Amino acid sequence: MSPEISNQSLLFLIVFVVVPLSLSYFYQLGMSRSILTSSIRGTIQLFAIGYILTFLFDLNAYIGIPLMITVMIIIASFHARKKGRDLPYVLPTLLAGLIMIEVSVLSLWLLFDMVEFVPSEVIPMSGMVIGNSMVAMGLALERMKTEFAENNGRILAALSLGAEPKQASHLIVQRTLNAALIPNVDRIKTIGLVQLPGMMTGLILGGVAPIMAIKYQLVISLSIFSSVSLSAMFVTLVMYKHFFTKDKQVLESKEAFKEYSSRDNA
Amino acid sequence: MIEFKNVSYGPLKNISLSVDKQEIAILFGPSGSGKSTLLYLFNRLIDPEQGEIFYKGKPIDDFSITGLRQNVGLLLQSPNLFPGSVLDNLKYGPSLTGSWKEGDEKRLLEYVQLPQDLRDRDVDHLSGGQQQRVSLARTLANEPEVLLLDEPTSALDNNTAEEIEIVLKELIEEKGLTMVMVTHQLDQVRRMGTKGMFMNEGTIQETGGLPGMLDNPETLELKEYLEG
Repeated sequence: MSPEISNQSLLFLIVFVVVPLSLSYFYQLGMSRSILTSSIRGTIQLFAIGYILTFLFDLNAYIGIPLMITVMIIIASFHARKKGRDLPYVLPTLLAGLIMIEVSVLSLWLLFDMVEFVPSEVIPMSGMVIGNSMVAMGLALERMKTEFAENNGRILAALSLGAEPKQASHLIVQRTLNAALIPNVDRIKTIGLVQLPGMMTGLILGGVAPIMAIKYQLVISLSIFSSVSLSAMFVTLVMYKHFFTKDKQVLESKEAFKEYSSRDNA
Repeated sequence: MIEFKNVSYGPLKNISLSVDKQEIAILFGPSGSGKSTLLYLFNRLIDPEQGEIFYKGKPIDDFSITGLRQNVGLLLQSPNLFPGSVLDNLKYGPSLTGSWKEGDEKRLLEYVQLPQDLRDRDVDHLSGGQQQRVSLARTLANEPEVLLLDEPTSALDNNTAEEIEIVLKELIEEKGLTMVMVTHQLDQVRRMGTKGMFMNEGTIQETGGLPGMLDNPETLELKEYLEG
């Protein structure tokens, strides 16, 4: 394999864009514009992040790493917040969760000498941990909202029997965590069998011996496994409380009930 | 036993009512008149915006919320059973306070006239009528003094509905319960109640003994409703 892809070779990547473009044209899918713009946008984004990473990797580790991790956590929190914008204290919860997870994972990596405290190792690996945690938190928020809406009657029944909000939402917390963890467990189960994980592939392409690449992959896969579990659990256990008032009443059903009655009486 | 003084909540305006011990009060009227809201208010699933609610002569705020909810059982319109077996559902309330005793399910299944072999049946494998009976037994498991029933038979066929009514009447007699029931079925009002409260557009428009108030309505609204 050539050590570097030349700019000329890179230009031929256009062939890979022409294929979906032609499909869209012949089958009149109306997606030509979005295929073109997303390809151009993706290319620009990747080059931009390439230059940013080059800049960060040249910086002192004690400046570059905290700077990039802070930016990643802020962007991830704002992105995951979209899934639960209507809930109170979502942003601080997501920020706190991501900070806690990143600090714990990074501390373990450094403590057990798995990763060196240099931007070229910490930043990409932290990016994977934060990115996956962000997705898990978003999924947990979305799932929790759906579960609360679908099980409103059961929650009211549990509260009416004298349950505390924590007891009344036990089923929802359980289902939310289940939904957030199952894809993760499946991913770990089929790791290396269905497809070679991204980091390992990258390292092998970069010339690292497969066994060494696997060691790095194990570190990142299990770190992601743990952080995704933790992030889903954290966001679920903190956020379910906000579906209730201090008087142990369901916030949403209270509003819905008032609206329903007003509408019917109108 | 239960008293509402000038209670307002959303479209409910200045509701005042009282229900005595062991009385069977029926709230009836057109859909959306706020009948269910009154039950929710008394179980404290919602709180009034104005006015006060009393239980045994004391404001309901004086009771602990969970304690009040256990003492004032609410049966919702749909069974809303928890996933699991009939037994899991029956022991839910008492387990919260550690008062569940092995074998209690026998008595509860008897109350609602369900066969004992349903004890371990998954609730998803029960008929609609059986589910509503389990839901009633689950509410009774807390040994409430007051039973609030939100259209408990609206989703059931006539025969099953009448069977549930018989169960309820027997329970009230046997356990000396006070009951407030919401319904919009006039034949049910006649069969079940000792006191009637006609609700329309967020207010109680007429109160009286049953079945007398159905035979001689005083307000034009009730007359129209009965004719209608």
